[in-house]
Amino acid sequence: MANTESLENVVLELRRGVIVLAALSQLGAAEYGYSLLKKLADLGLEVDQGTLYPLLRRLEAQGLLESDWKIEESRPRRYYVVSAEGKKLLPKLKKEWAGIVSVMDKMLS
Amino acid sequence: MNLIDRYVAEVGRHLLLVKGRKDIEKELRSTLEDMLEERAGKSGKPADEAMQTELLKEYGAPHKVAQTYNPNPYLLGPRIYPFFVFILKIVLFAVTLGLGIATAMQIASNPPMTGVEFISAVGKGLLNILSACIAAFGNLALVFALIERYAPAADFKLDEEKDWDPASLKKEPEPNDVKIWEPILAIVFTFIALSLFNFNPQLIGVYHLQANEWKVLPLLSEAFFRWLPLLNVVWVAEIILNGLLLRSGKWTTGSRLFSAGTKLAQIFIIIMMLMGPSILALSPEAMTSAGIADPEAAAALNQLARTAIKFALGFAALGAAVEIVKSLYKMMTQR
Repeated sequence: MANTESLENVVLELRRGVIVLAALSQLGAAEYGYSLLKKLADLGLEVDQGTLYPLLRRLEAQGLLESDWKIEESRPRRYYVVSAEGKKLLPKLKKEWAGIVSVMDKMLS
Repeated sequence: MNLIDRYVAEVGRHLLLVKGRKDIEKELRSTLEDMLEERAGKSGKPADEAMQTELLKEYGAPHKVAQTYNPNPYLLGPRIYPFFVFILKIVLFAVTLGLGIATAMQIASNPPMTGVEFISAVGKGLLNILSACIAAFGNLALVFALIERYAPAADFKLDEEKDWDPASLKKEPEPNDVKIWEPILAIVFTFIALSLFNFNPQLIGVYHLQANEWKVLPLLSEAFFRWLPLLNVVWVAEIILNGLLLRSGKWTTGSRLFSAGTKLAQIFIIIMMLMGPSILALSPEAMTSAGIADPEAAAALNQLARTAIKFALGFAALGAAVEIVKSLYKMMTQR
């Protein structure tokens, strides 16, 4: 029981660390929150709404995302897209990630 | 108003102080409607209240959803907390010291007090210090909470790493090293005790004004002075021990054993004092005739003093016992 709980906590921590990069990488084209959530899930990364929406707002406040309201199917939807600053940051983050993956591969192989 | 509207409004109520509340509500409603539409599509029937209920249950309690949008979930966050504690210690020390001195000066400048009046004045002073400390804590927490909320992290970096040099680390103290001020203080205070109890015992008492003249009521009885020769032996032994420690600068097994021996002797004397007749000379009658207090107050004060002396002796014995244990522990672990 305690083992399962520990595993869940560690997995949660690991995922939390990659959500920023995952979201930025998928917002080259504008997406609204729910469509991004589904897109990430389809790619294999299940993210809780309570984590993703506040994160999108935070990334926007940091200037890495831009957002815009659009009316679609008679419903207002907030679309997020990577900003110019975010575009500059993304390759650096990808490089960091590749470094981490390479190091961890070495450690775990 | 359907269930989703009520849910969104409830989340909004928990976001009253959060910037962009209307925006969050709008986005939340849009997301819930998207999710509901998708569920309805999958089930092949129009969305109804049962479907809404199931969706909202899964989405979570409104206060928990609101919590995820709160950029400041703590009153004082980890960025600012260490600095808050640092300032708090200084403020509490300053408040206690300042008010302590003020209370002492107020008591000293007042006309001569009876014992009861004195205790009451000290009690009032302590209460003042306590309430001032609580107020200082509250005010400081308020100021820091405002800084936490409104000072941008970039402008208020407290945990910024400065150029740090490992050489600035404090040296690990050598366990057998003697801190120079300890034997010096011990020698000074033991000399004072020796000269006071042996050559000026008349100075130990309760001072009071009688017909514009300072008088002293002796505090300690014959029972105390019967133990004075043995106390003198212990005190002289302690002066010799501290002199040797000052000279060598190191604790040795011998000096630790010697120290434990003197402490053991102190405990023995204290126990004998506690078991024998009272070492307090102050009687209610003497206090009443000296005009320090009326008979009722004098009796209460006398009882209080007797209890206080017992406690003081008890604490002294406990302190000596702790010192013995410390000495023996260090002797065994740091040889």
